[in-house]
Amino acid sequence: MQLTYLEAIRQGIWEEMENDPTVFCLGEDIGIYGGAFKVTDGFIDRFGAERVIDTPIAESAIVGAAFGASLTGMRPVAEFQFMDFIGCAFNQISNMVAKTHYLWGAPAPLVLRGPSGGYVHGGPFHSQNPEMWFVHNPGLKVICPATPYDAKGLIKAAIRDSNPCVFFEHKYLYRRIKEEVPSDDYIVPIGKARIAREGRDLSVITYAAMVHTALEAADLLAKEGIDLEILDLRTVSPLDREAIAQTVKKTNKVIILHEHSRTGGLAGEIAAIINEEAFDDLDGPIVRIAGLDSAIPFSPPQELHYLPKLEDVIREARKLKAY
Amino acid sequence: MGNKKIKHTSNGNRSRNGNSRPKAPILAKAARNGAPKAGAIGSAQGKNGAPKAESANGSGLRTYSIPDYRLEHPDYSVRQLVEKDKDGTQHVRYEVSGDLDAPVPPIRESKYLDKRQAIEIYRYMLLNRKMEIALENLYKQGKVVGGVYFGLGQEACSCASAYALDKDDWFAPMIRNQGSLLVRGFGASDTMMQYMAKADSPTKGRDGTSHFGDIEKRNMVSPISMLGDLIPVMAGVALGARLQGRNLAVMTYIGDGGQSTGVTYEGINFAAVQNLGLVLVVESNLWAYSTPSEMQYRCKDLAERAIGYGIPSVIVDGTDACQVYDASHEAVERAHRGEGPTMIEAKMMRMKGHAIHDAAAYVPKPMFEFWKRRDPIARLENYLVRDKKWLSAKENEKLIAEVDRIIEQEREIAVNSPMPTPESAEGGVFCEDGCHEIKPKYAMPKVKKGSAAYKETEAAAHFK
Ligand SMILES: Cc1ncc(C[n+]2csc(CCOP(=O)(O)OP(=O)(O)O)c2C)c(N)n1
Ligand SMILES: [Mg+2]
Repeated sequence: MQLTYLEAIRQGIWEEMENDPTVFCLGEDIGIYGGAFKVTDGFIDRFGAERVIDTPIAESAIVGAAFGASLTGMRPVAEFQFMDFIGCAFNQISNMVAKTHYLWGAPAPLVLRGPSGGYVHGGPFHSQNPEMWFVHNPGLKVICPATPYDAKGLIKAAIRDSNPCVFFEHKYLYRRIKEEVPSDDYIVPIGKARIAREGRDLSVITYAAMVHTALEAADLLAKEGIDLEILDLRTVSPLDREAIAQTVKKTNKVIILHEHSRTGGLAGEIAAIINEEAFDDLDGPIVRIAGLDSAIPFSPPQELHYLPKLEDVIREARKLKAY
Repeated sequence: MGNKKIKHTSNGNRSRNGNSRPKAPILAKAARNGAPKAGAIGSAQGKNGAPKAESANGSGLRTYSIPDYRLEHPDYSVRQLVEKDKDGTQHVRYEVSGDLDAPVPPIRESKYLDKRQAIEIYRYMLLNRKMEIALENLYKQGKVVGGVYFGLGQEACSCASAYALDKDDWFAPMIRNQGSLLVRGFGASDTMMQYMAKADSPTKGRDGTSHFGDIEKRNMVSPISMLGDLIPVMAGVALGARLQGRNLAVMTYIGDGGQSTGVTYEGINFAAVQNLGLVLVVESNLWAYSTPSEMQYRCKDLAERAIGYGIPSVIVDGTDACQVYDASHEAVERAHRGEGPTMIEAKMMRMKGHAIHDAAAYVPKPMFEFWKRRDPIARLENYLVRDKKWLSAKENEKLIAEVDRIIEQEREIAVNSPMPTPESAEGGVFCEDGCHEIKPKYAMPKVKKGSAAYKETEAAAHFK
């Protein structure tokens, strides 16, 4: 079946709710309205108001309640209307949820999900990519799918996981990409990257919407004889160190590409992993392409200037190839 | 220092005069429910926990009242005082003014406790206090890692509240509720080992104090240091249980300081809207570290906050175990009937500093003296031995000796536990395959599915 990225996530949650009575959803406007982006559209009619709960606008309470319910063996799926608002619940996530298994041995099988990402002119409070806030919190799994197939397989894996998962849905991709998704039950394992494109000359390590930018660049660069390999991380915590090392060992040159601000961003961490695992294999400097060190501005020309662009990838790839 | 010039800062004008409170509306109900009904706090709302949208009672008039089980209404207030000494140097300190000589009221007769139960609560309160004395000694011997927190003067609040819970109910203590842990079946050695960071402590050295939990047997959620965050979590426990067909009471505590946090509001409101069986005990102990309650909130009693949430509340004397128990029992019963949350404000005083390092020099001495006369253990002992004659002097002595013996045994266990190995810092960050089986604790939720089939969404959405 051809599914959009959004539909794939929606179907994944729907199937888990069909099959497992312990799965339930909570969040703002997710019931009769079906959520700001309609990910839970129609759920309340099928699963009832007990399992599709419209909550007050209270992000800490949403996470706290999801966590509490998970302690009784339920599998809550909490929606953030925008992932930007997850900051309001930061303490619950960082100090309550993430530390619980390490400190007192209680599993917390919950999913915190919602739309993130730029390129839709959402402005500084509706375009952020706050995944790094959670990468630096041991105990959380942080997932950022790039394709409908992965989005469905990963949301199902996250719901079935015994650990708290933070699931970032790129809102630019929601209705822009479509692909064939099998109708049988499958999951995509958390923590495993995938090669989105095989290549010889240099590797682009990236995830989410940037995978598509990298693929576009690869098609254009192929005409110039530059052959990109693209590693789609899929999960940004825990990182697939092996896959990162492998692609570097193969191409010996790396670009790391992400939307969020450069300083303290994921590229720094990946560069350190390469340093630890494949230093001797490098034939050039590790290149970072990332968002500016500012808030993400609203006006389209400014927003695009802040975010990584196709031209950035092409320019940096040419430079690195020639190095 | 010489009191040359005295000036009051703007805070601290809130009156604590309890006399303006309507007298003895013990069984009146809060907020929006109809006529008062005898028997307990609040009244039935929706059945089986389903939140029910109800308009205020027909008249359109709002008549709010808060039951107050106390037999006295302490009348004093604390304010900041700016004074200059002889050299003209300015100093700021706290001053208390009001009636600090009031006689100690009797214990209020419990509507529910029988002799055995009253004695059992007394015994837990003794265990609580003696465990903390043992901890103080362990600290002085250099055996404690970090500080020690005390619930001195609050033993009735911790023990009698937790005593009202049923076996299947859940609770989450705050730092001063070491007595609640004993009531719920943990050993004194568990808490002692936490303080000493021992290998056999419930968290195996990974955290201290009352920061531990048990979701299998004793239904306890581990607190974190951040105040207020347990409240939505406990609401969620009640939500999870309700989806599994059980209306449980979920009890936790919050201080007069901690209640200022935003998550407190979010949590209570969530429980109120979802009609979940939260029993929130507000430990109104007049101080939050060095800050008097006058600088935390402006309303007269924290119980008034409940009106804004649309839930019932009740005020009790936190040094009277019978009042604490009765209010807690009624709140727990409400939760079991699916009638939603209850707030219990327990008025008392933190009788030591914030923790062992803090001499509480900022607390005006007359406040300690006022509340020292209201020692919860001495009051309950007097009630059991002299008023009710449920305990003879001899039996009381025996009971105290037995408590001493238990604490000594527990101390031995704790002291003899080894320190954890350095490497035990590693692992356990994630729940790995096979480490826990995730399954509903009470029952597989009963699923009622609508006939609507899966259909692709075509609806318009935010940000195309
Ligand atoms: C959110 C938060 N901010 C600050 C602290 C530091 N802190 C710990 S206890 C405390 C005072 C708490 O006072 P109260 O809630 O009245 O409880 P009490 O100590 O009187 O029992 C403070 C400020 C904290 N634990 N959590
Ligand atoms: Mg206090």
